[in-house]
Amino acid sequence: MKKLIEIEFIKIASYSVFRVLILLHFILFFLVVLVTSQLDITVPGFSTYNLYQFPNVWEFFPWVASWFNILLAIMIIVLTGNEYSYHTFRQQVINGLSRIQLLSGKGTLIVIIAIYSTLMVFLFSIIFGFIFTREYVFSVFYEKIYILLVYFLQAIAYMALGFFIAVLFKNTGLSITLFILFRFIIEPVIRLFFPKNFRLYFPVKVISNLTPMPEFLTIFAGKMNGDNQAIDTYSLREMGIMPEELPILVNIILAAGYTILFVFLAWLLLKRRNL
Amino acid sequence: MKVILQTNNLHKSYGRVTAIKNLSFTIHEGNVFGILGPNGSGKTTTLAVITDVIRPDKGIFFWFEQTSSPVLRKKIGSLIEIPNFYPYLTLKRNLKVVARIKDVPDKDIPRVLDIAGLSARTNSHYDTLSLGMKQRLAIASVLLGNPEVLVLDEPANGLDPEGIAEVRQIIINEAEKNKTIILASHILDEVEKVCSHVGILKNGEMIAQGKVNELLLSKDPVIVSAENIDLLEEEIIRSGLSESVTRENNNLMVILKKGYSTSDINAYAFSKGLILTKLEQRKRSLESQFLELVK
Repeated sequence: MKKLIEIEFIKIASYSVFRVLILLHFILFFLVVLVTSQLDITVPGFSTYNLYQFPNVWEFFPWVASWFNILLAIMIIVLTGNEYSYHTFRQQVINGLSRIQLLSGKGTLIVIIAIYSTLMVFLFSIIFGFIFTREYVFSVFYEKIYILLVYFLQAIAYMALGFFIAVLFKNTGLSITLFILFRFIIEPVIRLFFPKNFRLYFPVKVISNLTPMPEFLTIFAGKMNGDNQAIDTYSLREMGIMPEELPILVNIILAAGYTILFVFLAWLLLKRRNL
Repeated sequence: MKVILQTNNLHKSYGRVTAIKNLSFTIHEGNVFGILGPNGSGKTTTLAVITDVIRPDKGIFFWFEQTSSPVLRKKIGSLIEIPNFYPYLTLKRNLKVVARIKDVPDKDIPRVLDIAGLSARTNSHYDTLSLGMKQRLAIASVLLGNPEVLVLDEPANGLDPEGIAEVRQIIINEAEKNKTIILASHILDEVEKVCSHVGILKNGEMIAQGKVNELLLSKDPVIVSAENIDLLEEEIIRSGLSESVTRENNNLMVILKKGYSTSDINAYAFSKGLILTKLEQRKRSLESQFLELVK
């Protein structure tokens, strides 16, 4: 495993596209959270500042970061597509790597990038949380911190989908296009042909629902009533104001299942096809 | 002698096109085995199959008398088709990737770069190299870790005459270390000068194989002449020594049957009272034999 990490590190350390994408990911996320923190949208009982306070920040920042997971998936597609266009997957097998090691190498890279991204979200959440939280209570601090782990899984799931598409099409440009189309058009359109209840089980839907949009209305209504539980999200969903979602645990299990499926399918392709 | 590679009835098709058909051959330790064939004859497919990047439809092969595995492939330095490296990495970093895969220490990198004549370009990016230099880097990566076996597919591709001579010398040097080398090439001169054994591929089938010297000797014509050329021709035909006799001006071009040599002709002519005024073994180039075989 150490050898595979070293190999992947040698490959990406000098790769300017990788460095630019990682930097872009970091800077864009920072700018978005910084700029929105300066937008003081205040209505009676609610301010955008609430989103930056503990524990809401643990929900809000992973949701913002989830949009940038697409950038991470594109990065994995570029790195995997390169292996095909430079014939380096082929050469590495010739030199003595097994096909499972090719898969493990990229899998390890995906996990490392997901760790980086989660740490980034954690770091910014801590910084902004401490700046914006006026009344600090320790129990509130870690109330929703588990969402970081859910975000971690989401980052892995997006990158696993990107990896599978790249292995399937062996072409960087085509894979990026199809990934974006699948994420934003193909799956959403397919979902429309299915009954409402089934739509929640589609891969992109499951993965994106891991870090749903923070329930602004709940936060707002809670503040209005001086009680966070005054209007629960269930009744808001019943009213059609909040989108329908599966219970978080079901979503996590399904997302993990889809991730394993993407990796397994990529493995089958690597194993059976000529390099 | 230790068997390094044994292939049994390898078969690979791409759709309706058969790339290799029932390919069986054995390569022993220390052999420099040339795989010779025109374009599209299946040379690269053969090498891609034995290096595990292409799955054969049928047949089996063994490296070092064992089923192929990543561990065994680390003992083999292979260059298949074109050099495959990361264009944005330096030569040193590209070789580091290979060194990690092969479990070779980094200190071997300067050695192989030196052999390939690329020491001065250690920190250049791969995409800044000329075609010939890329080929040299591929040779360097093949030599990394001093492997027991080298598999080289058209190693002189893109090289200038000086480069070709240098690569040829590298191969000869490695062969002298009793390494086993498998060399696919369409440059007959290269195979003739470098290889101890040769297999000739045509339409995916091995149509001839053996020692280069034997293949050459068995088909070399002998040029003979005597004062009475008509009588000489009659006697040689009657002797049963020859496969064919052709008149060439005042000479006869005789293709001897396997196992006979020029001294047999001389002795036979003498026994019939004919004094040969010319007796010369003319070595046909491998090229002419190759063209004849694949015709």
